[in-house]
Amino acid sequence: MEQNWQLDNPIMGLAVVGATFVLFYIVGFISNRKSKSAKELYVGGSNVGAITNGLAMASTYMSLATFLGITALILQLQVPFIMLWIQLILAIPLITIIYGTSLRRMGAFSPTHFIRDRYGVTASIIAALFMILVSIMYALGQMIGIAITFETLLGIPYITGLFIFGILIVGYITIGGMAGATNNAAIQMVIIALMFIVPLAAIMKAIGASGWYFPPLLYSDMVPAMMDALPSFFDYQFSPKWYFSIIPALTIGALGLPHLAMRVYTASSLKSARSAMVWFAFILGLVFSATYAMGFVGVFATTTQGVTISDGDADKLTIILNMVYNPEWVTALVIAGAISAGLSTLSGNLLAIGALISQDIISTLKPNIPQRLSLRIGFIAIFAGGIASILLAINPPAFLVVSILWAFGLAGVTNAPLIIVGVWWKEANKFGAIVASVVGGAIYIIVSPFVFPSIVLTGHAVTDGMGLSGAMLAVPISFILLIVVSYITNRMPALSGKLTKQADIELIERIHGWKDIKAYRYNSTLGAGITVVVSAAVAIWALMPWGM
Amino acid sequence: MKAYKKEVQFTIWMTAAFILVGNVGLIFSIFPVDAMLLGFPVMYIVPILMGWFGVFLLTLIAGKIGNRIDDEIDRENDALGNADEVKEV
Repeated sequence: MEQNWQLDNPIMGLAVVGATFVLFYIVGFISNRKSKSAKELYVGGSNVGAITNGLAMASTYMSLATFLGITALILQLQVPFIMLWIQLILAIPLITIIYGTSLRRMGAFSPTHFIRDRYGVTASIIAALFMILVSIMYALGQMIGIAITFETLLGIPYITGLFIFGILIVGYITIGGMAGATNNAAIQMVIIALMFIVPLAAIMKAIGASGWYFPPLLYSDMVPAMMDALPSFFDYQFSPKWYFSIIPALTIGALGLPHLAMRVYTASSLKSARSAMVWFAFILGLVFSATYAMGFVGVFATTTQGVTISDGDADKLTIILNMVYNPEWVTALVIAGAISAGLSTLSGNLLAIGALISQDIISTLKPNIPQRLSLRIGFIAIFAGGIASILLAINPPAFLVVSILWAFGLAGVTNAPLIIVGVWWKEANKFGAIVASVVGGAIYIIVSPFVFPSIVLTGHAVTDGMGLSGAMLAVPISFILLIVVSYITNRMPALSGKLTKQADIELIERIHGWKDIKAYRYNSTLGAGITVVVSAAVAIWALMPWGM
Repeated sequence: MKAYKKEVQFTIWMTAAFILVGNVGLIFSIFPVDAMLLGFPVMYIVPILMGWFGVFLLTLIAGKIGNRIDDEIDRENDALGNADEVKEV
């Protein structure tokens, strides 16, 4: 089997990629002519329809990881990684029901905008700084994927692809804005689905699978051969603790992702936001299931069909399968689909960075700067965020998904507790928020293998690298600190002058849709107490041996 | 009071239902099942099916109930407005 994986005819690949770019530029340009205010730039004027928005949500979320990263880790971890990935579909539904509609009602630009109104300027700037780190780590995964894709497409070195195409894509996003991004993301979702699932069907047909006409679910006739060749494929491998840690790290983590929550605010109404969530779940379930099938086929091909893929090429699995089993023009389409996936997520990440820097930091510190200047700072921030992710991608981690999933955990520690508790508990205050975000974030970073490789919780490289173990410890600590510190400081008379209790109460009632104020609403000490006890149990469990 | 209670209970139960349906793998890691369904091991295909159709179904339910609770909150707000008007008279 061929070892040097690159297209023989790069011109055709470039032409397909170029054609999709032209399409995105045109849609971005037409949409962007309306993008005159900051609100239009970041949330598309809050008038995006349900289907467009649902598709855009799925597209923003799916990222290049779907094309390249997931299949690589299925190849390495097999079924446990599929189990880990499944729950990522919960992101938009949970954001919508837990806080999305409340923040949409409030008219927030971003989760940090809510944190500023709820906890004050200091807490919001700390949260914004963490969110910038989250967005850059997330964008990093996309940049790595884009460079790998161009490496395969053109046979050019990784670094060359990274700089040339990274800068080109960042330029497109800087010009495009959110209105362009939303329309483009919806188109990209359709391209992603078609260019992933149809070629997968062709691969399955070539391998001899009878259910090739519906790849996401109909590959069971390959199961007996897989069980013979690799009996361990379906093993869960890890303990229930590992599977539990997915909830704080990724399920709660997704609730703190700024670029994802921003999609809820682009909805034209609350009803539309809820319809978008339904479309999101349907289309994402379809593509996710197809991804598991692609991973399965990849393992099947390497164990039974004699296809060999080196460790360094694992992230290219999807493209390699297409090269082996499909004509070149199909591979070119898959590459265009992969780039579309990277593009839509990257634009979500970079727009979030733009909003964080211009709206959540600079406009917060200097509220009187003119709107034009604010918008210009936003464009500069979007571009600078892109360049930062390109520079970080020069020396990438082994698997591109790892940096993305680690970013989930950081969002779960520093942002999600502040929003969830802030929306549902009037007592949460700025002292609790600041302590929770800073201490929780610091613990998460310290126990990650990236800073002090010797201070980790499990010693299992991928588990620590993806932030599963770190988030299982730091997320509950963040919840505990927020609740306990708020509860105590609210009862210290010396601090009462520094708190804005009445304004907080009014804000919470208003974002839930109430026109009056009632003391009994969103004020449960019992609920807060139960959260502290459960969080403490989870944090202690995280510190106990993982046995990995 | 009624709409508020519904809102809180809906959010708690719906969140729990979503987390459960999206993390069927966790349940199987505690209670393993050695059976086949549709040609796949149950522990493989059931989490995938629940993670797609189960979540999809829940979004339909959550959307419907969420809209209804919004309407109830609006009705309680309107009743409040009327009561204020009565007082003012």
